Amino acid sequence: MLPNRSRLSVLVFLLPPLLLYGVAVLFPIVQSLFLSFFSWNGISDMEFVGLANYVRMLTADDIFWRSFFNALGYLAICLVLQLGGALLVASLLTSMRRGRELIKTLYLLPAVISTVAIAFLFVRIYSIDPVGLLNQLLHWIGLGALERPWLSDINTVLAAVSAPEGWRFTGLYMLIIYAALLSVPQELEEAARLDGASRWQLFTKIRFPHIMPVWITTTIMATTYGLRGFDIPYLMTNGGPGQSSELLTTYMYKTAFSSTDFGYASTIAVFIVVECLVAVGLILFMLKRKADA
Amino acid sequence: MTAPAAPITRPRAVPSDSPPPLRRRRPPSLHSTLSRVLIALIVIVQVYPLAWLFITSLRTEHDFATGDPFALPKSLTWENYARAFETGNLWLNILNSFIVTMGANVLIVLLGMMAAYALQVLGFRFSKFVRSLFLIGIIVPVQIALVPLFIDYSTINLLDTYASMIIPLAGFALPMSIYLFSSFFEYIPRETYEAASLDGAGPYRIFGLITLPLSVNTVVTVVLVNSIFIWNDFIFANTFVLSEELKTIPLGLQNYIGAMGKTDWTATFAAVCVTITPLLLVFLVLNKAMIQGLESGATKG
Repeated sequence: MLPNRSRLSVLVFLLPPLLLYGVAVLFPIVQSLFLSFFSWNGISDMEFVGLANYVRMLTADDIFWRSFFNALGYLAICLVLQLGGALLVASLLTSMRRGRELIKTLYLLPAVISTVAIAFLFVRIYSIDPVGLLNQLLHWIGLGALERPWLSDINTVLAAVSAPEGWRFTGLYMLIIYAALLSVPQELEEAARLDGASRWQLFTKIRFPHIMPVWITTTIMATTYGLRGFDIPYLMTNGGPGQSSELLTTYMYKTAFSSTDFGYASTIAVFIVVECLVAVGLILFMLKRKADA
Repeated sequence: MTAPAAPITRPRAVPSDSPPPLRRRRPPSLHSTLSRVLIALIVIVQVYPLAWLFITSLRTEHDFATGDPFALPKSLTWENYARAFETGNLWLNILNSFIVTMGANVLIVLLGMMAAYALQVLGFRFSKFVRSLFLIGIIVPVQIALVPLFIDYSTINLLDTYASMIIPLAGFALPMSIYLFSSFFEYIPRETYEAASLDGAGPYRIFGLITLPLSVNTVVTVVLVNSIFIWNDFIFANTFVLSEELKTIPLGLQNYIGAMGKTDWTATFAAVCVTITPLLLVFLVLNKAMIQGLESGATKG
């Protein structure tokens, strides 16, 4: 603590940031919780309905459950691409001696580009008429039978809207994991190598355990970002066709701003927050148990 | 790292009987060749779509509609760019994005630094509690704020203003910035503050004369990292802004989707190229600082 500080000076520095944060983040959270107990279309009087919105959401809303499972699928694809890809490239990169900086920069490029641009780009990549990159590639490698309009086929659309999100942030997570891998002590690796450890053993017994704390942070980041994913599916398909690429976030957005059902939308929003908290809790719990075992 | 560059004649300079440095001379193993090929493939997957975006923006419409998408364009044209500027309000969108990014960054840097100063340097009894309050903003998704803010803004007539975008963008970015500033302030030695205190400097002068000037590097990092997210923000802008005059780049790009879903794709791609260029240039010039910022954001935790 600073010797000459006064209570007033603490307030002078703390109040303005707390004010902005309260107005933009804290107060809306409380307000959402509050709204979730009401039925309100923004014009007529608010009507207190107790837990009715929650009951409706959990027991009587097929679209909600559809969106929930879609969101899990979306998350799974994003995680595999982001964490799997990140770990793979980061490990490969540590064995390279030149060009690392260049690869880091190139790999991070998609993270700098706006989601709208990415959505446009991928709409064209998936396109069938005129033929886009993906279908053309399939045609060339002799898998022409697989060519299809990826975004209007209900079997492929969820994967098709998930992939761009995964693609976009792989570089970001790679950077973080790469920085962690660099901090693995060289002596440890040398010693294991002298003891005859294979590359795979070196990775599973030394490197990976060493980066565990960072891996946990990265997993939590990727999971919470995956669960709140919105822009790309919203822009590419708006949840369609039907509800086959609807996520909880897009469903909540439509409920709020197309159907102007503010109360029910808030209920879904609260659910998204709970879902994020549960996911973080689960990850910490599972990894802790694994570390203890 | 600081070794001078090896002269070209180096092999001759080394006495002939000394063994060559083992590491350098070994032919590349199967493993390293494979991993290089794999890295190259993955990088192509990451970068090629962006290159393709640019190449397509130079294609003629006819070429785009009929040609093989992987082929190089038969002839290059800048016409798409001209059309992109005619169709939309590109300059206006860029200006708006610039205003929003600047406004939010000023708030984030100033308020973030102040909060971190109060938490880390001044210290007070409930600092742990305040810290965890700020932590909420990192975990909670922004979607929770959309409906309440929309309602609040419409009550106080703040919808459709720059402030309606700047406030939530700054609010949600604040926690991470406070975190970055706090972890930097930890490294400023206590003695510096004590010495200044003995000389009679109060908390305000110490903030202005010591903490602030020392934080320049962290400010750059915070601004860079936040700018990526703010410049590209879609969800707040899409929810709170309706009028053409206030649309930022992500919203402006949507204008290129014509009625009935018929889109002038080559002009759209040209517009996309124009709008991603400013951030891309900043990123390529300052990518070291940005990469460092992104890394330290997560690894220190």
